[in-house]
Amino acid sequence: MDNKIETSAAPVMDAASESPDAGRKIKMPEILTVSPSPHIVSPDTTATVMFDVILALLPAFLWGVYVFGIRALAVMAVSVAACVGFEAAAQFLLHRPVTIRDLSAVVTGLLLAMNLPVSVPLWMPVVGGFFAIVVVKQLFGGIGCNFVNPALAARVFLFSWASEMTAFSADGEKVTSLAPVLAEGDIVASATPLASLKTGEIPPETIIDMVLGYKAGCIGEVSALLLLAGGIFLLVQRVITWHIPVAYIGTVALMTFLFPKSAGMPVEFMLYELLAGGLMLGAFFMATDYATSPVTPVGRLIFGMGCGLLTVLIRYFGAYPEGVSFSILVMNLLVWYIDKATMPRRFGGKSDGKK
Amino acid sequence: MAYTFRGGIHVEEYKNTRNSRVETLPAPAKVSIPLSQHIGASAAAIVKKGDAVTVGQKIGEVSGGLGCPVHSSISGTVTEIVKKTAQTGMQVEYVVIQNDFKDTPCPDIRPVSKKLTEITADEVIEIVREAGISGMGGAAFPTYAKIQSALGKVDKIIVNCAECEPFITANHRLLLEQPAAVINGIKILLKALGVRTAYIAVEDNKMDAIEKLEEMTETSKMISVKVMKTKYPQGDERQLVYAITGTEIPTGKLPADVGCVIFNAETCAAIYRAFAYGTPLISRIVTVDGDCVKRPRNVLAPIGTCVGDLVEFCGGLIRTPKKIINGGPMMGAAQWDTEMPVTKSTSAVLLFSEGFGKKDVPAQACIRCGKCVRNCPMHLMPMYIAQFTKIHDLKRAEEYGAMSCVECGSCSYNCPGGVEIVQHIRVAKAAIKAEKTRLASLNKPEN
Repeated sequence: MDNKIETSAAPVMDAASESPDAGRKIKMPEILTVSPSPHIVSPDTTATVMFDVILALLPAFLWGVYVFGIRALAVMAVSVAACVGFEAAAQFLLHRPVTIRDLSAVVTGLLLAMNLPVSVPLWMPVVGGFFAIVVVKQLFGGIGCNFVNPALAARVFLFSWASEMTAFSADGEKVTSLAPVLAEGDIVASATPLASLKTGEIPPETIIDMVLGYKAGCIGEVSALLLLAGGIFLLVQRVITWHIPVAYIGTVALMTFLFPKSAGMPVEFMLYELLAGGLMLGAFFMATDYATSPVTPVGRLIFGMGCGLLTVLIRYFGAYPEGVSFSILVMNLLVWYIDKATMPRRFGGKSDGKK
Repeated sequence: MAYTFRGGIHVEEYKNTRNSRVETLPAPAKVSIPLSQHIGASAAAIVKKGDAVTVGQKIGEVSGGLGCPVHSSISGTVTEIVKKTAQTGMQVEYVVIQNDFKDTPCPDIRPVSKKLTEITADEVIEIVREAGISGMGGAAFPTYAKIQSALGKVDKIIVNCAECEPFITANHRLLLEQPAAVINGIKILLKALGVRTAYIAVEDNKMDAIEKLEEMTETSKMISVKVMKTKYPQGDERQLVYAITGTEIPTGKLPADVGCVIFNAETCAAIYRAFAYGTPLISRIVTVDGDCVKRPRNVLAPIGTCVGDLVEFCGGLIRTPKKIINGGPMMGAAQWDTEMPVTKSTSAVLLFSEGFGKKDVPAQACIRCGKCVRNCPMHLMPMYIAQFTKIHDLKRAEEYGAMSCVECGSCSYNCPGGVEIVQHIRVAKAAIKAEKTRLASLNKPEN
């Protein structure tokens, strides 16, 4: 009966069953694992995602070392060590599994360092690391549970020492004479391009300098070009989606183009606004922080637009020339509501998103 | 342009057996045939211990309600009828038959005498029911009932050969080796349902089968091949209907509500065989694979064959299995019994060693990357539902669409944090259902 089904090949009984190793045949086990499906998963882990972020950040960071000198490396090393150390210590004390191998604390440390001026005293990244990891991250439940970006929260916390945080070492006269700032005494606070923009002036740096990163600022924010490259790498690796960076940068571009502070040259003003300060770093690496950004595509667009709007408002009307950190932190607080409001319409559901 | 849907994931294919011809398993010394292999009423045994049975003889019959008869897949003697806990967790009766190796065919088996043009829908339904045919893709809905419920409601038939689950190539090989059986089965269904359109949906990782089918359906006005994009879960009926017709099946409705009825390819072939030869559903193609199997291959196995016999036929084990899976790795069920038999819906038997397909790090936590949201074919926010379930907030789990989840596992597959998202959602679904039942019983007027 069965052979009504035309399986042309005759059953090929394997020679293997008679082979010499048939003697030590592997037996069925006594006990099987019964776990729910799916029984296979992709090999991606939190660590592989974080590793991609680190790779994407490195070029811009190394540029910071090149522009500001070897001290930038020291700031980074202290910051990363502090974050990883505090993470391990906090988890140990809270009786949680120690998960420093997921590399998320490394990313926080790296981002914190990139958001500091090169001249900060080295105890500051330690304090910042403590605030980021212990206060913002672990006390709220660890990875994924923090409701504001740890590195940015730490940066804002460190503004308690305002003069240290705003002592931006200049690339000085011209970048050809790049003197590494090694001792804290050597620092001459220099105006960042943002400070000029605030007064409605076009900064002395050329657009090319701005793109490449020959300007004053925090360690990791100066090279718009390398940050953009890192951001594109993350997009290609599908670590982030385009929604937040495009909405964020697009909104800043639109606002500064429509309402330029320096009359008559909206395009130029807009370009300087885009390239100055921490916008590229913020839009690609800080605003896209998983734990503190929406998960829906529409939500991400709204989040990015909100960040852009607040950034421009702070830059125009705030006391401080830069608004990227503050705007992202404010938008972080709205993530839950944005997600809820932008819940996707269910497949087969009515257009109001409900059943 | 291949047909597709929004969401879904690309999974590692593992189609190791795509080139392995279906080989017929010599009838094993013993089969153990469950009397309940799908939803609906369990069949009751109509044989008893010590009875002699023939190949294709009916051994279980359903008296009323949804369900179909069960037939013996070998000839021999009934040695016992035992109750065991089946894959569903229910107590199920198994008829154990000792093979007499005589292959005596059941005398009742004969081809349908009527011509296809003269046959009525009711007759088709009766023949399909008597042959014990139920969906062979995995869900195992009794096929006669599906035809019955689709009568007069549908205008197209979709034959599902997407086979989007990794490892499984049973449908692929069927299409390559017996396309005529599948197409003839479709013709019977077209006639029975009185519709004029049938689509054979095949994923574009099976181009050889697609070419063959296109060649064979070239002159047909009613049957055509639809090339689907290779993406998981393309074979899910909701995604399949949407990809082909552009219509979303509304929440809580069935394909028939949007004019479609879906059959698995092997089910069609089984229907054809019930007509052409009178053969009931007593064997099926099973992909035997997994890193523990020496020679992974496609096996035509009698229903009731146990895993051990399948593995033996495939060269034995090369590693100690930790998991035995009935079905595909994405939605199949892990078994606790090495004696697990092949049922009408067993498209694959996979044997995985410890750690196979797992991440090298222990599960961590949700990092809110949003991949599950992007991948969910039902457009839910799986991580939120999982989190609400964790804190026992069933109200919000339901509000966020837990009940719409089709449990495809795309969320868990791609979660970098290793969170078993779909399992949390299953827990929520079960708890929500239980709560609803409880409330309903409270609201019932006392009588």
